[in-house]
Amino acid sequence: MEIQGQQMTEPKAGPGLFKRNPPIAGEAEAIERAKAGDGEAFSKLYALHKRRVYTLCLRMLGNVSEAEDMTQEAFLHLFRKIGSFRGESAFSTWLHRLTVNLVLMHLRKKGLQLVSLEETINPSEEDAPKRDFGSRDVQLSGSVDRVALERAVASLPPGYRMVFVLHDVEGFEHNEIATMLECSTGNSKSQLHKARLKLRELLRQPEPMISGEMKETAL
Amino acid sequence: MTSHNEKNDSPMTCAEFQEHLPELFAAGSEGAMDDPKLLEHLKTCENCSALVRDLQYIADQARQLLEPTHDPSDNVWEKIKNSMAAEAPTPDLEKI
Repeated sequence: MEIQGQQMTEPKAGPGLFKRNPPIAGEAEAIERAKAGDGEAFSKLYALHKRRVYTLCLRMLGNVSEAEDMTQEAFLHLFRKIGSFRGESAFSTWLHRLTVNLVLMHLRKKGLQLVSLEETINPSEEDAPKRDFGSRDVQLSGSVDRVALERAVASLPPGYRMVFVLHDVEGFEHNEIATMLECSTGNSKSQLHKARLKLRELLRQPEPMISGEMKETAL
Repeated sequence: MTSHNEKNDSPMTCAEFQEHLPELFAAGSEGAMDDPKLLEHLKTCENCSALVRDLQYIADQARQLLEPTHDPSDNVWEKIKNSMAAEAPTPDLEKI
């Protein structure tokens, strides 16, 4: 599969990939039937994966309408390309990579130049995480629930959010992220670190301080 | 917080320690801190050890976000179904 000059290949299945994306009952059979053009089987694959694909799009884009459009695009791509899935990786890993590539292509079309990632998706000074060389504060451990974290992630500047979601949530490696975002591995590591620093800062603020366009959709 | 000192054998400062953090986290447990100066700083600096704990906690908590919580509207499937039928009008697709 060719998306924006990138060959769509199946990632090698390391132990972590299958652990994070374990096979789903009935999925393998549905894949084989969908490959043969069985519409009901494709409908089953949609039912099994729509939430994760849509959630991934929503986190990357921060916008319900665009996320729904990209979910539709992802499944249409799947419909066209499912014959090329060879089962070398977990199906969901393959589908998520396809989705990420489509979302990135969409963002590039919108004018986000991911090639010069360093310049274009770095946040402004006021969005940047504060360096922490001395202040002592409340510890986070044990105090952050899923809702608070989801809100904080939605409040991140787009460049930080992208790398955080791809690495810490979706489980992609830095070298994979660097390839997808067309940046250096070092830049991916640095963006992730800044994202976590920013999240720490956001999570230590009183809850009303955490805001963002996605607040209502993040819950 | 450790005070800054320019000498090579001097204790590491917080700023110096924190410059190493992106690589240290990327290396994970396999590349655990084998530099004695980093380890020493981590042991003696309450601020940096709290920072490392918090960042590790955030990375760990992020995994719970893998479980999806959002559903696309029913409209999305309708559009997919219509596009599929237009691309490959087979009796099978008309059934779904």
